[in-house]
Amino acid sequence: MDQFEKNIRENKSVFDDQKADLTKMWAHIEAELNGNQPKVIPLWKSPMLRIAASIVLVMGLLGLIGISAFSGVTTETNYVSQELQDIDMHYQGLVSYQVQLVQSNQQLSDSDKEEFLSFMVELDTEYKQLKIEMQNNLDNKLVLEAIIGNYKKRIELIENLLQQLNESKIKDEDYGYTL
Amino acid sequence: METEIRFTHKSLVENSKSGDRNSQYQLYELYVDAMYNVGMRFLGCKEDAEDVVQDSFIDAFKNLYKFKYESTFGAWLKRIVINKSINHLKVKRLPLSTINDHEFHLTEEVEYEKVAAVDILKVKAGIEKLPQGYRQIINLYLLEGFDHNEISEVLGITTSTSKSQYHRAKKKLVEIINTL
Repeated sequence: MDQFEKNIRENKSVFDDQKADLTKMWAHIEAELNGNQPKVIPLWKSPMLRIAASIVLVMGLLGLIGISAFSGVTTETNYVSQELQDIDMHYQGLVSYQVQLVQSNQQLSDSDKEEFLSFMVELDTEYKQLKIEMQNNLDNKLVLEAIIGNYKKRIELIENLLQQLNESKIKDEDYGYTL
Repeated sequence: METEIRFTHKSLVENSKSGDRNSQYQLYELYVDAMYNVGMRFLGCKEDAEDVVQDSFIDAFKNLYKFKYESTFGAWLKRIVINKSINHLKVKRLPLSTINDHEFHLTEEVEYEKVAAVDILKVKAGIEKLPQGYRQIINLYLLEGFDHNEISEVLGITTSTSKSQYHRAKKKLVEIINTL
């Protein structure tokens, strides 16, 4: 390297006299870099947000575990629930039909109807308690039998009442006929 | 010692590799003026230099994973800027080498020592007056510190061509300086 070259290289800083437009050029670079990939807000970098996210995740998992543990929803319980629902619908239909018959019966006085229906209300209350018991203890056959027994009792009561009414009606008719 | 120089701004480079915009900006801030001056020396036009430097930084950040500290980050980036500047000139169809057009002006005997102590500003003005081809090779060798192997790679010429063209360019520069 001769003196001429050495002189230039030693004074290289003289050749770096231009100033770049820092902001304008960075705006272009950043726009291009951002446009290239989806903008990611690094929330996970904040320790507070990381803790909050962890708490939410743990609570969510516990909630899910709790729901599945306490609800006891299995195929078997679904099957039993369905069976109970079918029985319930069948007897409820029968009871409501016969109660309607009693209410529409003209031979019974209002006080008699009220007295009879109060028995039905009592049995209904008992039924509701049995149903709660059934939900808590689905495997208990005794509860299921008690529910069915409750329905049968209600139906029996109504049937007896209606039978008595029919009998008295026959007697009346016979009496009238003999007359 | 050499190893330490190569790892200059290592933490900034590593953070930039993982996409940390703040670190990328810090690297940009450190090198943008130097790169802009390189661009200006090659292209001689503010707008073109800005475009080339912007593209170079974008490419550098996108391909930073390829940077393995075989040189300094600055040297790696400068290589990108120079390559892009030369490609830019090719696209604009500016002649890369006009050396032969000026050969007849040269004399065999040039007294370099006479210009050794010459005002450096005159040298600067002289380089700016050089034809495109001469200016490129003078820039690469004298100012960017490339050796003839590197120049041959960048310009796609042989090493011996690089050497001969450099000597012609230097003679031309001295001639211009003497007229200033």
